[in-house]
This record gives sequence, structure tokens and C-alpha cells, in this order.
Amino acid sequence: MSLVASSAAAWTAPVIDYHALAPEIVLAVGLSVVLLVDLFTAERNKWLLSVLTGFTLLGATLPVLTLAIHDDSVRSLFEGRYVVDEFSLVMKGLFLLAGYVIVLLSSAYVEEGDYWRGEYWFLLLTSLLGMVMMSSSRDLVSVFVALEFLSIPAYMLAAWRKRDLRSNEAGVKYFLLGVFASAVMLYGMSLLYGVANSTLLVDIGESIDLDGDFAAVQALAVVFVVVGFAFKVSAVPFHTWAPDTYEGAPTPVTAFLSVASKAAGFIALVVVLLTAFPAGRDVWQPFVWVLSALTMTIGNVFALRQTNLVRMIAYSSVSQGGFVLMPLAVAGGAAGDAALRAVVVYLVVYAATNLGMFGVILAVSRKTRSSDIASLGGLFSYAPALGVLLTIFLASLAGIPPLGGWIGKFAAFQALLTDATPWAYVLAVIGAVNSVIAFGYYGNVMREVWMRPVPHGDNTPIVTPSSLQIALGITAVATLVLGILPGVVLHFGDIANLVGAFGG
Amino acid sequence: MSVGESGVSEFLRSYLTVGWFGIAAVVLAGLLLWVASLVRPSRPGHEKLLTYESGVDPVGEGWSQSQVRYYIFALLFVVFDVEAVFIFPWATQLERYGTFGLVEMGVFVFVLLLGLVYAWRKGVLRWV
Repeated sequence: MSLVASSAAAWTAPVIDYHALAPEIVLAVGLSVVLLVDLFTAERNKWLLSVLTGFTLLGATLPVLTLAIHDDSVRSLFEGRYVVDEFSLVMKGLFLLAGYVIVLLSSAYVEEGDYWRGEYWFLLLTSLLGMVMMSSSRDLVSVFVALEFLSIPAYMLAAWRKRDLRSNEAGVKYFLLGVFASAVMLYGMSLLYGVANSTLLVDIGESIDLDGDFAAVQALAVVFVVVGFAFKVSAVPFHTWAPDTYEGAPTPVTAFLSVASKAAGFIALVVVLLTAFPAGRDVWQPFVWVLSALTMTIGNVFALRQTNLVRMIAYSSVSQGGFVLMPLAVAGGAAGDAALRAVVVYLVVYAATNLGMFGVILAVSRKTRSSDIASLGGLFSYAPALGVLLTIFLASLAGIPPLGGWIGKFAAFQALLTDATPWAYVLAVIGAVNSVIAFGYYGNVMREVWMRPVPHGDNTPIVTPSSLQIALGITAVATLVLGILPGVVLHFGDIANLVGAFGG
Repeated sequence: MSVGESGVSEFLRSYLTVGWFGIAAVVLAGLLLWVASLVRPSRPGHEKLLTYESGVDPVGEGWSQSQVRYYIFALLFVVFDVEAVFIFPWATQLERYGTFGLVEMGVFVFVLLLGLVYAWRKGVLRWV
């Protein structure tokens, strides 16, 4: 009774920093508007929705910019449960811009399919709102809510082509494994709460020391939480849903899942590892090491055997995830700052390149109606621009120097070499070998584009809608600029300080 | 650590109690059923072998299909149920949370109403 009485007297309304929450508020208002406009407009005016979605995303980018320019960079809301720091701002910017490119990629696709257009844009915005929230969440509850917020619309988007069996399969597999991962993670989180008596990540960081009576429970909790996120980022051996989901889902949704959804999983993983488990590194570093080595290698080996382009990209994106995990395997030690920077840089570069890759796939499949690698035969001869762009994106994914992907790989290897332990060197060697293997399947696609004959001699040119052209332009420029002027992206990595990381 | 020296053993011992309870429950139930099977006469009949469904005669198979349209009612029920679950405790403390609470609840109800408006415009409130 006394507890109730004392808390009843003490309640005061929380002070809310509306400037810090402005991106989320803009997105929330925008998605409500998109839903209502969809319900009350005639079918012929539904093109409005993609425009509204695009403007909502650009509108939400404005407060991210003003927050970044504003001098007092760290804004902590709700007693540190929701923090707007440089790290979160960089990631929010990445999600919103990636979201905008996905809007450009999907508008033609959505207009031409006879499916539920309003729901598509609404679900896309909802999922992006979850990702933006994830960047700032610093509490077990808000991390979990943000994770479900971004996942549940994504399950539905994967099954968006309702009358297509493969799309249904994609949605069901993604959903079942996703909720299974959530359950495992929740179990780990419940153990964490039991040990730390707090849901605030920084408080948990002070309690998790792998020492004393609860060392075993702490280790178990750390492993369960990492396993939960490993599903989200499709790290081997938790990757089995990824190829089927990526192949079956509508192609713009696949781009969304493989870039934005994956990046959100990595951010959550980084935030939890660095703020909640800095002293638990003896458990998660070896675990992430094994995940990273397996993810790179198995993703690559399976990608080598694929004949379907989207499936190959799915395995390639699994393998790219291994390269993002690589610096995290040493993130608890002396190389912590370099590792955090490497993850941010890799995610930015990977987003630009992979979105461009899907842009080309979408443009080509408008003509070929196929996603076989063989259908790209002789692409350069009848669509030289697309052929060159595809080559640029493939080379960037493979990590060839003047392009963006190279700087991502460079940062990741640099983090490992900064750590300078035998295990870090071994992982660097595994990574280097995998970079070479990866060139096998990327090069195979390039050979189709440049050297193979056109299937059936069908030389009709490809008509690319203007939205797709803009998306290809943005991603190609980003991929080139990030590679030629690495200072730009390394600068983002440098300013991306994660408040409260490393127990500080 | 707040628990003291023998934290792990206490922690595990409390789970041991759960284990003992489980074993006791299985043994006790098994024992009772076994004793009952020894003493009772065995006269199976049609009525006795029917599946018990609260006194009503069971109809059809165990895998019978139900009308898919009912899931809409389940979803809409959740909308209103969640609304009630949150509005009720807020209403008892209305004055304490003041304007801030009122605005927050307004936002919450608006979001739930979006779900209802969606259902209405999609025509699922009509029983065809």
C-alpha cells in the first residue's frame, strides 16, 4: 500500500524533447495519412500514395539533419531509455534514405501489379518507423518493441503477392523463424532482467560481469540474445529462411529486407553488445567470431552454385553479413572504436550498393520476366547503361578498390588488424579468402553481361521508368563517391559515437 | 551480488523444488489411475466412449473447419480489448495524469481508431 501511495504522489509528466522525436513523429503522422488517403481515394488516384510516402521519408530526414547540425549532440529521453546520439542519427539518416530509394524502386513495380497498393506503402513506412526507433532504443523493452515494430510489417510485405505461392512461402518462413528468434531473444532478455534488475542497457552493462554466483545465467542470457539477433541478420547457422524469403518476396521487398531490415538487426546487435555486455566479451567475442567465419564461408559456398540471380544475391547478402560481423568479433577489446566505425561504414556502403543491384535486377526483369543469371546474357549489347551499372555494383560488392564496397571491407580488416590478436589475424585471413571466393560468382554474372550471347537474340531495348532511373542514379553516385572519396563515409563512421558503449 | 555466498546452489535448489513437484504430480496421478483401474469394473459403452464436450454430443471430426471470417472478429475484439485494458486504469487516475495523460490517451485511441476505420472501409464489418 505504501508503495502505491508514494508513487501516486510523485507522478510528474515526463519532459519530452520534441525536436529529438521529430523524425519519429513525422513518420507516424505520415503513415497515418497514407493509410487514410488509401482508404478514401479512388483507385485511379492511388499513385498519390507513393508520392506521399516519399515526401514523408524526406520530411523525416529534415529533423535528422537539424539534430545533426545542432551542437548539443546527445539528447537523452525517458531516463536514458531513448537516446538520440550521433550513432543513432547516422543510422536514422541511412534508414530514411534507403527507404526513399526503396520507394523509388518499388513505385513502378507496385503500380503495375494488381495488388494492395495502399497497404504496401503503409507497411513500408511502419517498418521504417520501427527501424528509426531501433536506432535510438537503449532499453530492453524499447529494443524489443522496435524490433517487432520493424519485423511484423516486413513479414506481411514478404507475403504481399497474396496469390503467388512463392510469396506465401516467403512470408510464412520469415514469420515462423522470426517469431522463433524473438522467443529465444525474449528468454535471454528475461534472464538479463533477472540478473540486472533493470531493463536499461547501461544498467545491465554494470551487472553483467560473468563473475560471481550468476556467471552461468549471465553467459546463457548473452548467448540467447545474440542468437536472437543472429536470426534477424541471417547469420549462419540461423540463415535458412533468407534464400527462400528473398526469392519469394516481391523484388523491392527483397531489397528492403536485405538492406534496411538487416542493418536494423546489426544496429540492435551492436548497441546491445557494446552497451549491455561490454564486460561479457569473453562469451560473445568467440561466439561472434564463429558466426562470422561460418556466415562468410557458407554464404559464399552456396552462392557459387546458384543459377537464380535473386537467390545468388540472397546468399551473397548472407555472406556480406559475415563481413559486418567480422569487426564485431573484436569489438570488445582495444579495437572497439575501429570496430564500431567499420560496422557503420560497411552498412552505409552495403546499403548503397545492394539497393543499386536490386534496381538493375528490377529494370532487367521488366523485360526478361525471369531472374535466371542466364537471362542477363549480352545485357551490355542492348542495354549498355544497365550493363555498366550492374558491373559497378557487382565490383563494389566484391570489394574492388575504386568503389564503395572496398572501403567497407578495408575498415573491417583495419579493425581486425588494430586488435592484433592471433584470433583476429586468423579471422582476417578467412575474410580475405572469402573475398576471393566471392569474386567467383560476382565475376560469373559479369561474364554473362559482357561476353555471353543474348538469349533468343532478343535485342529489344529496356524501358526503365524514371523513378527507377533516379534510384539507380542515387545508388551509383553513392557507390562511386563513397569509394573515390572514402573520407566522406569514414567521417560518418568517426562521428558515429555510440553513447554508453564500452561501459563508458 | 545481492543474494549471498551460496547463490548458485540456492538458485538451483529453487528449481529442484519445481522438479520434485513435477515428479510428485506424475507419480501421484499415475498411482491414482492405476489403483482405480484395479478396483473399478470395466464396462465400455457407446455413451461412455464419447468425447466429453461439456455435455453436448460432439459433431463431426476433431479436425473440423471453422468459418474463416471469424478471424476478423478476433482481430477487432483485440482492438477494443486492448483499448479497454489501457483506458480503464488511466480513467481511474484521470486527474493525476492531467492534460498530458489526456493527450497521450487521445493519441492512443486515434491509433486504434485507424484500425477500426480500416476495417470499416474494407467492408469487413458487413456480414455477407
